[in-house]
Amino acid sequence: MKRLGVFICHCGVNIAGTVDVKSVAEKIGKIEDVAHSTDYIYMCSEPGQQIVREAIRDQGLDGVVVACCSPSMHENTFRKAVKSQGMNPYLCEIANIREQCSWVHQKEKEEATRKAEEIIQATLEKVRRNEQLEAIAVAINRRVLVIGGGIAGITASLDLAEGGYEVILLEREAALGGHMAQLSRTFPDLDPAFNGLLSKTLEVEGHPKIQLYCYSELEEVKGYVGNFELVIRKKATSVAGEKCTGCGVCIENCPVEYVSEFERGMGMRKAIDLLYPSSVPNKPVIDREHCRHFIDGTCHRCEEVCPEKAIHFEQEDERILDKVGAIVVATGYDLYPKEQLGEYGYGEIPDVIDGLAFERMLSPDGPTKGKILRPSDRKVPKEMVFIQCVASRDPDRYMPYCSRICCMYTAKHAKIYKEQVPDGQPYIFYMDIRSDCKGYEEFLQKTIEEKGLLYLRGRVSRVFQDDGRVRILGVDTLTGKMVEVAADMVVLATAIVPSHGVKDLAAKLRATVDRHGFLTEAHIKLYPVESSTKGIYLAGCGQSPKDISDTVSQASATASKIQALLSTDKLLQDPLIAFVDEGICSGCGICVEICPYEAREMDPRHGISIVHSALCQGCGACIASCPNNACELRNTSANQVFRILDTFV
Amino acid sequence: MLVVSKEWSESRQTEVSNSHNGFIKKAMVIGGGIAGISASIDLGNGGYEVVLVEKLPSIGGRMLQLSETFPTLDCAQCTLTPKTVETGQHPLIKLLTYSEVDRVEGRAGDFRVKIRRKAAYVDWEKCTGCGLCQQKCPSKNPSEFDRAMGLEKAIYTLSPQAVPNKPVINPNHCRYFQEQKCKVCQKICPVGAIDYEQQDRFVEERVGAIVTAVGFDLIPVKSFGEYGYGEVPDVIDGLAFERLNSASGPTTGEIRRPSDGKIPKEVVFIQCTGSRDPERYMPYCSRVCCMYTGKHARLYKHKVHDGQAYIFYMDIRSTGKGYEEFIQQGMEEEGILYLRGRVSRIFRERDKVIVWGVDTLTGKKVEVSADMVVLATAMIPQKDTKELAGKLGIKADEYGFLTEAQRKLRPVETDIEGIFIAGCAQGPKDIADAVAHANAAASKVQGLFAKH
Repeated sequence: MKRLGVFICHCGVNIAGTVDVKSVAEKIGKIEDVAHSTDYIYMCSEPGQQIVREAIRDQGLDGVVVACCSPSMHENTFRKAVKSQGMNPYLCEIANIREQCSWVHQKEKEEATRKAEEIIQATLEKVRRNEQLEAIAVAINRRVLVIGGGIAGITASLDLAEGGYEVILLEREAALGGHMAQLSRTFPDLDPAFNGLLSKTLEVEGHPKIQLYCYSELEEVKGYVGNFELVIRKKATSVAGEKCTGCGVCIENCPVEYVSEFERGMGMRKAIDLLYPSSVPNKPVIDREHCRHFIDGTCHRCEEVCPEKAIHFEQEDERILDKVGAIVVATGYDLYPKEQLGEYGYGEIPDVIDGLAFERMLSPDGPTKGKILRPSDRKVPKEMVFIQCVASRDPDRYMPYCSRICCMYTAKHAKIYKEQVPDGQPYIFYMDIRSDCKGYEEFLQKTIEEKGLLYLRGRVSRVFQDDGRVRILGVDTLTGKMVEVAADMVVLATAIVPSHGVKDLAAKLRATVDRHGFLTEAHIKLYPVESSTKGIYLAGCGQSPKDISDTVSQASATASKIQALLSTDKLLQDPLIAFVDEGICSGCGICVEICPYEAREMDPRHGISIVHSALCQGCGACIASCPNNACELRNTSANQVFRILDTFV
Repeated sequence: MLVVSKEWSESRQTEVSNSHNGFIKKAMVIGGGIAGISASIDLGNGGYEVVLVEKLPSIGGRMLQLSETFPTLDCAQCTLTPKTVETGQHPLIKLLTYSEVDRVEGRAGDFRVKIRRKAAYVDWEKCTGCGLCQQKCPSKNPSEFDRAMGLEKAIYTLSPQAVPNKPVINPNHCRYFQEQKCKVCQKICPVGAIDYEQQDRFVEERVGAIVTAVGFDLIPVKSFGEYGYGEVPDVIDGLAFERLNSASGPTTGEIRRPSDGKIPKEVVFIQCTGSRDPERYMPYCSRVCCMYTGKHARLYKHKVHDGQAYIFYMDIRSTGKGYEEFIQQGMEEEGILYLRGRVSRIFRERDKVIVWGVDTLTGKKVEVSADMVVLATAMIPQKDTKELAGKLGIKADEYGFLTEAQRKLRPVETDIEGIFIAGCAQGPKDIADAVAHANAAASKVQGLFAKH
């Protein structure tokens, strides 16, 4: 007979306030093979752990149940404690009597006490039949894939490379920089965005540890933490990167112009062009949808003028295979699609633009060379209306969340506007002013006082065009009156939404997204940069809206977690995985098909199914699907599960 | 989600960081709150030795005082104790608690830090943390940890889950130190660990990099004459309300007002007390008050179902992930009444606390006769932050917050190579942001070490 120990935690009053822990300890202590049963106010505290250690030593225990909070909290703590006394850590199990008992039955104390006893008895059933297991050591690939070349991806890549790790940086567009490359100046110090960014993008380009793939996407990913296998699709640029010197003659000579998305529809670009001037890498790309060579074969202008013979029309997409140990998802954001903002006249009224379009207008290399000119007739707008919270904080119609940066960039926009058009009047419609980081409140107050910004607290009900002007109807909730402004131009601070394509990418990576499409972290405070899938990490606005400073911090945080992960040669994984009874397996292959982790495979020689221990996550899908019960989970065998169920029914 | 095996950090015991060409690859983290803990664990897990210096007897910082945290209402201790335990058990992290940095010399790769180890009057080598001394100590005094609402012995630990679990004697409260009598703790201690003769002592640590994560304080409440703080007993600050809410607090989690222990039926919460008020107090926004006040009001409603919570606010700032939804839920489903405006006066009338304010949405004066008032007072740096900055040779701003090298692209670096900043010492931030900031600092330290 085994000698088992049961340790019941009060968790202050969290458990003891509902469950009668003393009576539970006494009752459990009477079970035949329970050699020791006790309670303590905080079992996870140092004296609490000491109680566990001493009991193992003094009572010669060979199995332990700690009845406390969820195993996600302190399973690690107690497994370490038992291990220190020479006990196999997998002989220690947690009975969750807090989240699954005391917290949910606060008003039913007697029933809660009885349920706690049953949970402990069930866990004892499990421990009685637990095997001694050893952690599985898996070799680890110490390289990292970073997806997204905005400021988050750049920061994470540089931190990792500086830490000595090789990085593959993947960017969907033709150049690095992300949305930061579109910005003019950044709050609260009004530094030019481009200068700071350029020093970082150049650092990435020149870093010996960073392999940069622009105009590239992740096509496939297989594997698991420490050992991901990648297929990267490097799209054909039709320009031989190694030959091109970035002289720009092809761009000058290209006869095709079309509306530039980078310029938010306000500028034009060529069919062969850079994403933006001085981009990194500084090599143009041919857009095959617009290039005449690809449409009807009538033009070879770029090929003719290129002094380096770098134009390769027949270039094909490349598939690159590679391996990494960890992946950072830094896919960034988009702005809410303008087609869906009918009541603001966006898309219909040319002088209604969004915040990024205004950034382009303010940028010295933008379509107006930094001058504020309204799109319809290029006049200087004398009355400007800025509308915050467009599609944010609007659960009934758009997004319920706050986009976090709009208050600040709108104040910045209004300030720069007043500097450029001193006799102009900016109006800002807002709901709450949110300037909650270092120096932000001061920036805002100073701007309001010095620049005479007119803040109107209220929502806008309608925006329409009337006689060459844009009329805005709204409510000032501070006076309770209707407000009408006839403006020359309107800038909408539209909601931040996850970058397009993120859901598909997340599915490939087996990472989860929330209902809005933002990537979900494993725990908002304990594991804020870890995704729910091991080895996949999050950085930047793909996780939730944030400003540059917070994005940079978070991206570095991600890099720190990965450096810790990769600092050893071998990863130790929990051995709580599936195994096959070779005598029973009929080789039907159902488990191979059903396994979501590609951890099951047919052994052709023996005609039975096998388990790849490093891939198996212990999810149990194969066990449920096996028609012969040939498959079991270590330390969660059918026998154990039936015994556990017997306790409850 | 623990990314790899539970035994993983142990596997690093063999990996001892070293020095290379005289560049010491060992870090010091000053401050054992959630920021300092996060930075230390990251560095330790990265394979580097860490010395964590904390001025209080145990680690955990402000987070240890909190009840539940927004926006998930997880209990703070439940999220914190796995981290404090991990820190305490980590083979590469050396804890120097009840210690302060006295002097710093040297440069990146070779800082020599002189540390004052304050006299605990308990020999921690001998002490087993049995707790008998605390049980028997006859001297009870208002506990700073409980915001003066609870009592603490003259020999004490900060919490039952303290890491390390070793007590200290406060000589200002100890009868032996004050009156040369008592010595109960010494008599009762089974291992003879009490040492009244103990003196402060100094140790030197040599490290290659320093992370400064010394956290925040709240603006002294005595500053708020017009809010009756200090005069009206039922006007308390946010941290005091956290203690009232906390299962380990002075009321074991029941919301009872300090004056008479009654359950308050009407509670007024006032945001921006001392924040966003450039003429009289701090011009900046303290960033966390909107959210914790929203949380306080919801927790209050969960415990006092027939109670009414009023919140005076200027703007509601709920900018983090899930924050806006959290506030909206409080308003719509839990009937919390938000009033937009400043409060002009708070005074006591019989057993009530009267709050005068203005509702700027209606333009009318408002008077609430409340049972208790909670002030969301401004976050300020710890008072010795500026002095520490001087010792380290780094900059602090006019309020005493540490200054980063560059606001956006270098948010955790300072002007001195090898010295980094983390958490609220740099500026107010919530737990999630403080943790990210600290992890970022750890990344920069690892980058620096990897280069040498």
